[in-house]
Amino acid sequence: MKLVNSSFWKPYLLLLPALIILVGLFLGGVALAIMQSLGYFPLLGLEEFTFDYFREIFADPHFLTSLGYSLYISLVSAVISVIVGVFFAFQLMRLADRYRVINILYKLPIIVPHIVVALLIFLLFTQSGFWARLAYRLGWIEEMSQFPALIFDRRGIGIIFAYLWKQIPFVTLIVYTIFKNINQRWEQVALNLGASKIQVFWNIYLPLAMPGIASAFIIIFAFSFGAFEIPLLLGPSYPRTLPVLAYQRYASSDLSQRPYAMAITVVISLISILLILIYKKIMDYYQLKK
Amino acid sequence: MKRKGLILVIVLLAFLTLIACSAEEEVTEELLEEDWARIEELAQGSEVNFYMWGGDQRINQWVDDYAASRLEEEYGIELNRVPMGPDDYLSQLLSEKEVGRQQGSIDLVWINGENFKEAQENDLLFGPFAEKLPNYQQYMDTESPEITTDFGYPTEGYESPWGQAQFTFTYDQARSEEAPYTFAEFVDWIKENPGQFTYPDPSADFVGSVFVRHIIYEVTGGYEQYQQIEDEEELKEKIRPALEFLKELKPYLWREGETYPATVAQLNNMFADGELMATMAYSSILTSGEIAAGNFPDTARTFVLENGTIANTHFVAIPFNAPNKAGAMVTANFLASFEAQLTKYDPERWGDLLVFSYDKLSSAEQEKVDSIDVGEATLSQEVLDEHRLPEMPAELIPVIEREWERVVNR
Repeated sequence: MKLVNSSFWKPYLLLLPALIILVGLFLGGVALAIMQSLGYFPLLGLEEFTFDYFREIFADPHFLTSLGYSLYISLVSAVISVIVGVFFAFQLMRLADRYRVINILYKLPIIVPHIVVALLIFLLFTQSGFWARLAYRLGWIEEMSQFPALIFDRRGIGIIFAYLWKQIPFVTLIVYTIFKNINQRWEQVALNLGASKIQVFWNIYLPLAMPGIASAFIIIFAFSFGAFEIPLLLGPSYPRTLPVLAYQRYASSDLSQRPYAMAITVVISLISILLILIYKKIMDYYQLKK
Repeated sequence: MKRKGLILVIVLLAFLTLIACSAEEEVTEELLEEDWARIEELAQGSEVNFYMWGGDQRINQWVDDYAASRLEEEYGIELNRVPMGPDDYLSQLLSEKEVGRQQGSIDLVWINGENFKEAQENDLLFGPFAEKLPNYQQYMDTESPEITTDFGYPTEGYESPWGQAQFTFTYDQARSEEAPYTFAEFVDWIKENPGQFTYPDPSADFVGSVFVRHIIYEVTGGYEQYQQIEDEEELKEKIRPALEFLKELKPYLWREGETYPATVAQLNNMFADGELMATMAYSSILTSGEIAAGNFPDTARTFVLENGTIANTHFVAIPFNAPNKAGAMVTANFLASFEAQLTKYDPERWGDLLVFSYDKLSSAEQEKVDSIDVGEATLSQEVLDEHRLPEMPAELIPVIEREWERVVNR
């Protein structure tokens, strides 16, 4: 009976325009990627489904190093961003209202496009960049090439710098909003009872803001894990991050590389989906606690 | 009554099409039998649609201003440049072939490499016509692989050459007194100046990829063996020593080969900044241009190695269904003329290399070529001619790039 009822269908009908875009563009693309990663690519005469491409990439040391490299970069940049961001948000909350400029200033990096950030980092930190020149002028180094290699380096310092610059303000923004909404009286009571500032932070603010902090962590981790332009512009030729590796395979004039490229993107997507699941679990956990 | 009339019209139309088709084929067959004077006569006052990549303003200008007005003067030909790249015009020709359209809209295309191969494999081109062109016979070295093959694929007269690009290295005279000439000198030069040489990432950059092909030619004994390779495993085996060589060279490279510049633009920047002692280009005039623009030091100069550097030729071809094949042939012949080539060679106008064999020019013509100011950093046409190697077959290139990635880049 429910199915004949028009009010049952109405919300779906209203959602239809959005659903068409979501299904047609996004899920359609995902379905194609999955099919090609499983070796179904009629254009090349490949018509049998197989897991061979996945097996091959997981046996390929290049792919494994890239996977490790991507995880490493995302983890380091997300952890540092969260620590600094939370600390910054806590300080920001204690600022008097007359320091409003700071409140606007720190948000600026959020709106600056990633490609611009990459360029800024590049100009500042290459071995012929601003800091290298300055250090050379000041006589701290005898030759420009003595300046530490921070861009295109295998430790990914340049990439991590770029992510920190973008992500710290983002974490701050989220956590600051949560801190602001925490009932101030708890802090007053605790202080009255002789708690130190650190104790207030550790026992009141941090636990109450934890769901927000955790979700901020997952968001920036997932974003940097799948991001392409910053590692492309600032990363070394070896190891490449997973998205860069996938693109390189995809852009090859040799079409038989396509299934490998798609297998890599499917792996990236699976890891991102896993992160979403973890995020949901965290949210459920805190919901229950309340 | 009405229906009868309709049927009549249809039958008539079908009949006409049939006639048109067979007539078209006859013209095609006949055209290659005609002598050149007759072809020129047929081309008089016709219209030629030239489909070419339109991404460079200077090239477009040369075609629109110079080539079009000269063709108008000489033959009354109206040359229309249509800015459409090979990907697009090939798919257009392919679908026209499929539906059997015998009268297309494209008379002449700028083509080479992989695209030519694709066109030939699908019978999209008219010919062989190149041997018919007087200028082809008069000026080209019709035996040389740069003319008879296109990225290793035989041209067989289905395309007519009209320009060339040749790889050169660039160094700074103020920094290194003399450029290396033999391959051994080149290697010593790199090893004596550790950290000051590198090449763009071959899997990401076209110039880096051609640099690796030079190393393959040098280390494994020449280009000939690569023209006829069928098997991927055989290729991998053959290039292995070259890749091992590059791997051993890594400690002497910029950043000890830990990373490579992602683009040749980055390589050029590092050369301009003095971080590197050399850069490279798939062009012989780029360095003079960069000096003129103030990007490179005035003391920058180009060099080639004793065994030569890789060059590729670009061509024009005529589609199977070109409506004006005679006009297209006359245009192709004009593009290969001494006069057209000379103006194209002038870096002020375009700076594309001559497709002529320098030896086939008269001494007066040689003088004219020599008198063109190609910029101080550019090598003479004679030197470039004597140091020219053909490209590898296009299908080998991705395999080499992957092998570099696997063996060298780790």
